[in-house]
Order: sequence, then structure tokens, then C-alpha cells
Amino acid sequence: MQKILWVLWPSFIVAGVAEGIFFTVIDPQELYLFGEPVHFSKIATYSIGFFGFWVVCAASSLMTVFLQVGAAEVNKGVGSTSPGHDTTS
Amino acid sequence: MHPSSAPSTAAEVKPDFVEESLYEVHRKVHPRAVSGIFATWRWALVWFTQLVFYGLCWLPWNGRQAVLFDLVERKFYIFGLIFWPQDVIFLAILLIISAYSLFLFTAVGGRLWCGYACPQTVYTEIFTWIEQKIEGERNARIKLDAAPMSGRKLWLRSAKYGSWTLLSLWTGFTFVGYFTPIQTLWGSVWSFSLGPWETFWMIFYGAFTYLFAGHMREQVCKHMCPYARFQGVMFDPDTLTITYDTERGEPRGARKKGVDPKAIAKGDCVDCGICVQVCPTGIDIRDGLQYECIGCAACIDACDQVMEKMSYPKGLIRYSTEHAIASHWGWKEILGHVVRPRVIVYAVILGAICVAFVWGIATKPSLRVDVIRDRATLAREVEGGLIENVYRLHVINISEASHRYAVSVSGLPGIDMVGERILEVPAAGARSFSVQVRVPPDAGRKGSNQIFFDVKSLADEKVAVHEKASFLQP
Repeated sequence: MQKILWVLWPSFIVAGVAEGIFFTVIDPQELYLFGEPVHFSKIATYSIGFFGFWVVCAASSLMTVFLQVGAAEVNKGVGSTSPGHDTTS
Repeated sequence: MHPSSAPSTAAEVKPDFVEESLYEVHRKVHPRAVSGIFATWRWALVWFTQLVFYGLCWLPWNGRQAVLFDLVERKFYIFGLIFWPQDVIFLAILLIISAYSLFLFTAVGGRLWCGYACPQTVYTEIFTWIEQKIEGERNARIKLDAAPMSGRKLWLRSAKYGSWTLLSLWTGFTFVGYFTPIQTLWGSVWSFSLGPWETFWMIFYGAFTYLFAGHMREQVCKHMCPYARFQGVMFDPDTLTITYDTERGEPRGARKKGVDPKAIAKGDCVDCGICVQVCPTGIDIRDGLQYECIGCAACIDACDQVMEKMSYPKGLIRYSTEHAIASHWGWKEILGHVVRPRVIVYAVILGAICVAFVWGIATKPSLRVDVIRDRATLAREVEGGLIENVYRLHVINISEASHRYAVSVSGLPGIDMVGERILEVPAAGARSFSVQVRVPPDAGRKGSNQIFFDVKSLADEKVAVHEKASFLQP
């Protein structure tokens, strides 16, 4: 649960900031999607944009959480012939 | 996370260690209701902020919504002011002002924002109030939580969750009403013609309100709020914090009413535990300053009532500073230490930015003109041997009234223009006009020549723009 929040929550905040800056500078109607001008309503574009940012930011947070796994946890099970030498994990 | 449950599939490999989560088990906090001066302040702030939030979006202004962040038209209306995407600098300055205000308040008064004004505090306060009205006081709620499901429990729970849901939906509706005109939105609710995204955001925001204020409460402050983590850097020994006077209170202990603490060799703390019961984050302030403390002062109100009953002086828990507690200062000395380098620096920066902000808003132009040279035809010869360049004038009327503007051009001998000379632009609108500028072939030098467009309002000649452009002479 804690790890899910670590991924979803910071990415939510950063996505909000990114959304604000991006769409202040760029008008959604100036965007192109696969070579075609975006034809969604502006509210839809803003919303999809927000979730896009959120997904990208969440992916980054996910990697951070993934890489934070300590050596002890990665090694767990490998040295099973002499378990008990590391009980701190 | 729980390898102890895993070996059931491989019974022969039994680990001789059990991994345990290092996180403490979360216990539900049932804050006891409290009354007193600081509770009154907090409720005043609840009323003020929520009247503004729920009410402001219904306020009309010049035939439109007074405060509307119109995302579709990409224009923000705040009373008489209209902000375009080009004005994003004001938003940036506003954020800087908010940040510095927060720094200043925190340096002087500790977590005033958290304790009184933060939406998390405000909505938790409202949701807890509903909970208390329906399920009863703290003890009744703890009993109800422990009780098995019954008709009464089901009824109380449905009433509580139902009220929370209604309030959350209304909050979500109000939130969306700041981005889509709320009158129209209200109409579409009743004609079941809400757009899919409006519906989505309403439920999304409502659900977050419900989750944060109804269920997560102090968890948000403890685990999710970035400000709670770094507010400590704004603190110094002269910052006001909610402080338990250890010297006066210890050794704590129960006693009969009216007993002189000195006679029984005890401090003033009667160890009633009410300060812990009222705490919305479930901490014991007597353990000293903790980052979980949101500075709501509920324990001050609660302790003062107990002290009054015991006929002891109030203020065993009070707003004080580290220095004041150590040196037994009174309010006079505490206030005397408010002005210090950190506070002066924050105040000066904040003051300067505020002045710049107000000046910027006051002198915000009400007309903006962009001149774009037509790149398709650089320069061409027209009848009478004149040389012509074509421009597009993008005229943005930032005011609330429609304007007619006179356009003229200058900068080269014999320069003149063909096309509309009077441009009409509606209120808070933008229009593009094509303008052909002609000069005699011998005017200026070969290549680029500087010319100027003047756009002046016919109604108010102070509303004028002098815009540079370049004329290409072949």
C-alpha cells in the first residue's frame, strides 16, 4: 500500500504542475496526433493530457521504487544454504 | 512483504527468520471534540474559506461569472481582470507570493497554515463534525467501531457515508464550476446533459475529498504532504510552536481536585490524557515537538479546560517558543523576538514581490498587438510602381468592452496602407486582420527597413500600441 502511494502520489502532484505549465504555453488546438490535428474538445485534451503526464510520472516513480530495493532483499533466497546470517532485512 | 505465509507451497524449506514490516500498524484516530478559543478560530476559518469556495463561483460580474477559469476559451476571469495565457507571469508571481507568505507565517507562528487554513484540515473538520453528529462522541464511535454489524450500526454508517458522499459530490460540482460556467453546469445536471469529462472530474474530485477527509485524514499530513516534511527548515528557536511546559507539568500524575501540586510533589499535569484524545494526528504533545503535530491547538483548548477545572493557571500547553520555555519568557519577550534576520528577509522579499505584482496588474495593458509579416509574398510591385508588403495584425482586446481601433503606419517616406483602417474587436476577444503596406520604390534602402504600426482605441487614446515591424525593399 505504502509503495503504491509512493508511486501514485508524487507523480500526481508533478503531473498537475506539468499539465499547468504545458497547456499554458501550448494551445491544445495546435497539437497534432499521428499527423492529424487534435479534434477532441479542449476539456478532453486537457484531461487526457493530465492522465498522460500522470502515467509518465508514475512510470518514473515506479522505477525509483524498484531501484530502491536494497541488496539484502535482492539476495534473499540466493544464499539459502546458510540462512539466518542476515536477519536485518 | 509477508514471506511467513509463502512457505505453505514448499513445506520442506522453512525459513528460520520472519520478516516483519517496519511500518507501525495504523490505528484509527477518533479525535474527541473540543471547544475553546482556538477551536473557534479554526471554525471561523472553516466558514470563511468554505463560504468563499462554495459561494464565489455563483457570484455574477458584468453578466458573467466573477471568478471563472475558462479552460475552453483559455481565459481566466477574476472579477474585473482577464488573464490570457500570455499573462502566465502573474500566475508564477502569485505562486511565489504564496510560498513566501507561507515561509513568513511559518517562521513566526509555526504551522498556522496546517492548523487552521489547509483544505485537508478544513474538510477533515467538516467531515468529523458530520461523523460526530451522526455517530456520537468519541467513546460512542469507538464502541460502534467495535460492535458487530446490526440494524442500528448499518443505519448510522449509511447516514454517515451518505452525508459524506453528498458533501463530496457538491464539492466536486463546485470545483468543476470554476472551470465551466456554473449556471450552465447546474442546468445540465438537471437535464442530464453533463459532458463526460465534466462528470468525470466532478466524481474524481469528489472521491478524493471523500477519501482524504473521510478516511485518510491525518495520514495525508503524515505521509503525503510535502510541506509537512520541509516546514521544519523554517523553524528556529524563536518560532511559535504548541509546547507542553515540561518543567511545570512534570512529574505528572492523577490527584483529587483542588490539591496543591507542591504538597504532593507533582507537577501540574494531571495525566488525564485529554490532550492525546483530542489530537487529530493521535500524538502526545507532552513528548515534545513532533513533525506529526499540525499545530491545530486542540490540545491547548482541551488542557486549558482541565486546568480551569483544577483551578490551576491555564497554559500548561500553550503557544510558546523554544527560547521562551528555556528562559521563562512572557509574551512581551516572545513578541520582542519576532523581528529577527530570517523574518526580516522573508518580509522584505514578500513585500517587494507584492508591490511588483500590484504594479504589474495595475499597469497591465488592455490592448496587445502582434505583427506577423506574410512570409508567402516577401515584397511585390503593385499598380503605380509602389512596393507592397503584407502583414497580419493580431489584435487582442483584453478589456471588458468591445473596442474600435484606428490603425496607422509610419517609418518610411510616402508610406501608406490598404485595407481596414478601423478594426473592431469584441470584449475579451482577439481578431486577425490583413494589412497591405505600400511605399514608393525609392523609399528607404534595399533590404529590411524599420516601420511602425500604431493601433489606437477610438474611445480612449491612452489605449494604444506602437509596434515595430520590418519592411522589405527589393
